[in-house]
Amino acid sequence: MTWQLFVFMLINGLCQGMLLFIIASGLSLVFGVLRVINFAHGSIYMIGAFMAYSLSTILAGESLLGFLALLLVVPPAIAIIGFVLEVSLFRRVYREEHLLQLLLTYALVLILDDLVRVIWGGEPRSVPRPDLLAGSVDVLGMALPSYNVFILVVGPLIALGMWFLLYRTRTGNIIRAAVSFPDTLGALGVNVSWVMTSTFMLGCWLAGFGGVLTAALSDIDLGMGMSTIIECFAVVVIGGLGSVGGALLGSLIIGTGLTFFQFPFGRWALVFPYALMALVLIVRPWGFFGKPER
Amino acid sequence: MGITVIIVLFVLPIVLGRLGKTGEYWIWVSTEMIIMALFAMSLNLILGFGGMVSFGHAAFFGVGAYTVALLMKKADFPLYLALAAAPFVAAITAAIVGWFCVRLLGLYFSILTLAFGQLLYMVVFQWYTFTGGDDGLHGVPRPEILGPINYYWLCLVLFVICFFVMRMIVNSSFGLSIRTIRENMERAKFIGINVRRYQLLSFIIAGAFAGLAGGMLTELNRFAQTEFLYWSKSAEPILASLVGGMYSLVGPAIGSSVLIFLKIFLQQVHRSMVEVWAIVLGSLLLVVVLFAPHGLVGLYRQLFTRSSS
Repeated sequence: MTWQLFVFMLINGLCQGMLLFIIASGLSLVFGVLRVINFAHGSIYMIGAFMAYSLSTILAGESLLGFLALLLVVPPAIAIIGFVLEVSLFRRVYREEHLLQLLLTYALVLILDDLVRVIWGGEPRSVPRPDLLAGSVDVLGMALPSYNVFILVVGPLIALGMWFLLYRTRTGNIIRAAVSFPDTLGALGVNVSWVMTSTFMLGCWLAGFGGVLTAALSDIDLGMGMSTIIECFAVVVIGGLGSVGGALLGSLIIGTGLTFFQFPFGRWALVFPYALMALVLIVRPWGFFGKPER
Repeated sequence: MGITVIIVLFVLPIVLGRLGKTGEYWIWVSTEMIIMALFAMSLNLILGFGGMVSFGHAAFFGVGAYTVALLMKKADFPLYLALAAAPFVAAITAAIVGWFCVRLLGLYFSILTLAFGQLLYMVVFQWYTFTGGDDGLHGVPRPEILGPINYYWLCLVLFVICFFVMRMIVNSSFGLSIRTIRENMERAKFIGINVRRYQLLSFIIAGAFAGLAGGMLTELNRFAQTEFLYWSKSAEPILASLVGGMYSLVGPAIGSSVLIFLKIFLQQVHRSMVEVWAIVLGSLLLVVVLFAPHGLVGLYRQLFTRSSS
């Protein structure tokens, strides 16, 4: 492997990782505050992608403005769906056992995935990239799609934004307090259930954002939710459940790992996330940045 | 009452057999119901009785299925030997997977079973030369004497045997220990139960029964496919247990049969129901989770005890 190829693959892997981070960080954040592993996170992400597709057909054209409109409109719309789900369903099972919580979110997977099929049909779709991002950039004599570079810029921005939100604002303080001391937070006069709803909405916003980005990166189809949610599980397990920093690390490991293992192993590289997830769970179940429970 | 049910189940295909084509279809459906009931009950050994939420149970179902398909297609094994091998191979797989999984608790246990399940799924999916990849293995031979009715009877006999073995296990001191662990792991340790060993053992037993069910389904459909190992397949017995009631032995079997019947019934009502089946199933599940977490058997007991008091 030449070093140019190495850098090229690294960039592609990081791009994959960044996209995964945007989606998985939402899952991790929601788990941190709500203590519910949301199986439906992948389906919500898929709805974001298909919504972006529908909206792109209305907006018409490959203008940058149109694409930015997708990024501005779809994620908040998904967050509103999240609001409805949290208030009507999730809220009722916080005090129930894990199994019922898991099954509730799984029921949502069944319903949402089928709804997407009924509404959008089974064929793969894609969103055209805006003119400005449709070309490629010359990197070390190799053509790198500009869109991948765009994701490489947006991903860290999202990570930075989340870091700022969580560690530099009062809202972030409250969210982090809700992770560790929900009861104390309630006693201090904070409306904890509203914190939970907002966190869930933020998680959905991130899923929707990831969905829009994916729709313009590659084909979107009905299986994308299912496959992504498992990859997200791998990410949050490796990084530690509930840790956003861990999600970043996990995403980058999975993203670059998938790209690099394709070189010697071909299709077998797809086994990598599961193998790594199993390995981490066996050696250090709480992940790199998580804390052991119980 | 149990005996009556068994007799009715034995007579059923003879009655259905007189109905011609539709009857044959319903015999096939009933056979599938029996097999999936066994699968659901196998999971419930660890789910309802052991309190272990496994999201990778389909892996053992699939291993059993592929064992039968491979042995019969590639090694020319007769059916009875292949069916006997399925639970053994599944048990060995479950022993390896379970050895790692029982070290973890609660959510982490669930996720690790999911990871292992997906790992096995990926291996089967990618190993074209051996498993046929996503094409699966088709054309599993069927012995001459096994018509639809005979195969139904074979499955029913196997199911009844498994049922009694499971009942014996659940009511044995081993079964009681498993339930103790579910109720309170600390106390179970305190009274000298080797928690991990008991959990591993029940994990293996559950895997073996799932493997048998997988093998039986392969012979019914005459193919094995990767979907048998996919994680959504693992969710099926969980749903069945939830709908039927997971704190009883027959609950999952009832739940599974009800779900399959409902699906086929809706299909018969209107073709478009196939499209929205997942929505119906999901909504049903939501209702159960929110309003009847003990399932049908729980509802029955609630009604029954209320009326008797």
